[in-house]
Amino acid sequence: MQNKHEKVEKHVGWFFTLTIAAISIGGLVEITPLFFQKETTTPVESLRPYTALEMEGRDIYIREGCNNCHSQMIRPLRAETERYGHYSVAGESVWEHPFLWGSKRTGPDLARVGGRYSDDWHYAHLMDPRSVVPQSNMPAYKWLAETSVSNELSAAKMELFNGLTKNRSHKDENGDPIPLYSRDDIATAGSEFNTTKSITGKESLQEVDALIAYLQSLGHALK
Amino acid sequence: MSSFWSTWITVLTLGTLVGCYLLLRWCLKNFAGVPEGESMGHEFDGIEELNNPLPKWWSNFFLVTIVWGFGYLALYPGLGNWEGLLGWKSSNQDVTSLSDSKAQVAAAKAAGLHVQYDREVARADERFGPIFAEFAKQDVEALSKNEDALKIGQRLFLQNCSQCHGSDAKGTTGFPNLVDNDWLYGDDGATIEQTILHGRVGRGMIGWQTMVGGEEGVKEVAAYVLSLNPVRAAKKRATLAAEDKASNSDKATKAHASTVAKGEAKFAMCAACHGADAKGSAAMGLPLGAPNLTDNVWLYGGSERAVQQSIRNGRSGVMPAWKGILGEDKVRVISAYVYSLSNQD
Repeated sequence: MQNKHEKVEKHVGWFFTLTIAAISIGGLVEITPLFFQKETTTPVESLRPYTALEMEGRDIYIREGCNNCHSQMIRPLRAETERYGHYSVAGESVWEHPFLWGSKRTGPDLARVGGRYSDDWHYAHLMDPRSVVPQSNMPAYKWLAETSVSNELSAAKMELFNGLTKNRSHKDENGDPIPLYSRDDIATAGSEFNTTKSITGKESLQEVDALIAYLQSLGHALK
Repeated sequence: MSSFWSTWITVLTLGTLVGCYLLLRWCLKNFAGVPEGESMGHEFDGIEELNNPLPKWWSNFFLVTIVWGFGYLALYPGLGNWEGLLGWKSSNQDVTSLSDSKAQVAAAKAAGLHVQYDREVARADERFGPIFAEFAKQDVEALSKNEDALKIGQRLFLQNCSQCHGSDAKGTTGFPNLVDNDWLYGDDGATIEQTILHGRVGRGMIGWQTMVGGEEGVKEVAAYVLSLNPVRAAKKRATLAAEDKASNSDKATKAHASTVAKGEAKFAMCAACHGADAKGSAAMGLPLGAPNLTDNVWLYGGSERAVQQSIRNGRSGVMPAWKGILGEDKVRVISAYVYSLSNQD
């Protein structure tokens, strides 16, 4: 064989192996080291885990695909920080599984939407976005006020997140990891479901209550 | 970054660049055993493959990009812990709190590092800072006469406040109208500014159903409240008169009068916040946010149903605090804009 590259071009095994090797270099250099960096694995100082209600809200946020139109990633550009607040940093997302940074902004970024509007506003806006923002093209999510939400899985979810974040939680003075949720937290998981009043006026908490709780928690760690 | 990962990145990155160069050299060699420019010995439909080398311009350009790559990695932070000869970075990414973020900005400035985001913000501060500093010297009332401040204020309002209060600032059910010169907490500029800076939480209007004596009580108090309002009271009188005319008696008017009287007795509980004359807490000079019930401004609607609902379940409007989000200077300008809406000459 005079053409040495024919060996690669005519043998799919070689071609496959060498292609994978070539394209993996980018990831090995740019992504792999991030799994082991202090700034990408250490939570920022005032980061707190989601409450059971917020966690349910987060799951509803994922189910409804909010992240398809709303990013949660403020870039370090003045035009963005003027509108949304301090740019996002990795230490805010170390407990996110999966992360919800999104990649498209049909609607505004929500990384720091917590506390920006009242619960009443969120309720009015989710039921009928155009009742408060006439030019909005966001769909209405009326069914969220008609589906009750339960704390049945709260304890299991807390256990799961304890496992997922084992090496990335806050550390105590001896440097030992503090689990996201203590035994007590898990034992009483979702007790706030019984004490919190639904914004809909219904007897039990609805999905919209959980979603609003989640939205109001966003960005708490850096503001 | 640990030296392991720094080395890992450096070796892989430089190795790739060197590898690209070697690959190029290798590909420039003639392995075909056919002189350059001659046929490789196969043709289809008169189309022949010739043993042509890589175009000169292309392989030279490839070399240039490799040289460029080395230059870039020398100037900018790409190789692990190497910070680059320019001392450039896009932003401080390892901040752990807002105060740490400020400290890092100061530290980078002192060290002469070129942090792109910090520079961008500093340039803007240099340009806009003096304008806002000038505005900050004036109180809200004075600033509301400044055309430039009002233009900036309007833009900030549209960006941050219109979601609840509307782009015309006329509000909607549950979100106050800001152009009607009717204020829950007082009409002076300083009060408006306080509201925006620190927010307001309407805590006083709890659900009163049990206290006023159940559903009957709710209806009685609502009837009394609506009787204080000239417009609503006139409407009610007309309905009652029509009913009386139909039944040819004065039953309806009398029944209503007795309901209102019972409601008036119970209103004593409400008077603590709304005042004995129901003209609201602002009229008494108290910062309670209890609205005037005798005018025709209704935050949650002035129908019988809406007023009963307010008494039955309570209302708790929340105005978020904006000091942390916008800062005092911008809040001053927004306050001036909001003040100007109700104080047009």
